[in-house]
Amino acid sequence: MTTLDRLLGLQDRIVRYRISWAQLAWFGHRLSGIGVVLYLFVHIVETSMVTLGPNVYNTTLGLFHNLPVRLGEILLMAALVYHSLNGLRVIAMDFWPRLTVYYRGLTYAVVSSTVVAMIPLALIMITPYAPWGHR
Amino acid sequence: MTRLRTIYLSRQNPSRAARVRPENPGFERFMWWFMRLSGLALVILALGHMLIMHVLVQITGQQVDYGFVTSRWGTPFWRIYDFLLLVLALIHGVNGTRIVIGDFVSRGGLRALLLVSLGALTVLWMILGMIVIIGFNPATSPAVGPFS
Repeated sequence: MTTLDRLLGLQDRIVRYRISWAQLAWFGHRLSGIGVVLYLFVHIVETSMVTLGPNVYNTTLGLFHNLPVRLGEILLMAALVYHSLNGLRVIAMDFWPRLTVYYRGLTYAVVSSTVVAMIPLALIMITPYAPWGHR
Repeated sequence: MTRLRTIYLSRQNPSRAARVRPENPGFERFMWWFMRLSGLALVILALGHMLIMHVLVQITGQQVDYGFVTSRWGTPFWRIYDFLLLVLALIHGVNGTRIVIGDFVSRGGLRALLLVSLGALTVLWMILGMIVIIGFNPATSPAVGPFS
């Protein structure tokens, strides 16, 4: 038994079956959706503080001005971009069933577009906390 | 009653990220259409909102604060924009959560508890959001808040 055989056997026992991109896309759609809706509930309360005047509102916003929250907001942006693009893919395939033939390519396009879009977005959003952002 | 099954489970469609359109007219079919139409609108509304608040503000060196919100909501356009965003995003998100709960929580009692809580929270948050967006008036809001 070679090392490769043993590694493949180990992989079979751990992974059991191969998860397809389609399953990941489905799971990612749900995960990103739940994440965004949880944030939405927090965001509505946060914004409602504006009715209590500048002091309360600016203090509330101050709670969100730190690196961990900013990283969370970048994740939120990624979730929203992915959910939007994947949702467009689902809608397109619902109304033009012939597109389902290309579902694999469309899924790759959704994931890669999300990654590419997030590079400049993340760089801009992290600016206040980055070395080049000095403030 | 026809138990709705996801395409993912029925393997009729390789997308595995959508539901079959319900055959019978009613609440479920209405929500099937609502999710798709509101989804299209939210691609513009929600992404636009995030791009303005997090990217454009950063690039132009502005800061989101009380003054920012006051001047933004001084124009009817942004009040209507934010109102539409609130209503569509909350219903879209809560309906998605309802479907996820229905798929993953099979115990009757727990499922009922989760769904009733979700409904109650949604009504409360929807009312709060609407009151704030429609009713906010900088002239009558206290200069110094109640907690300071």
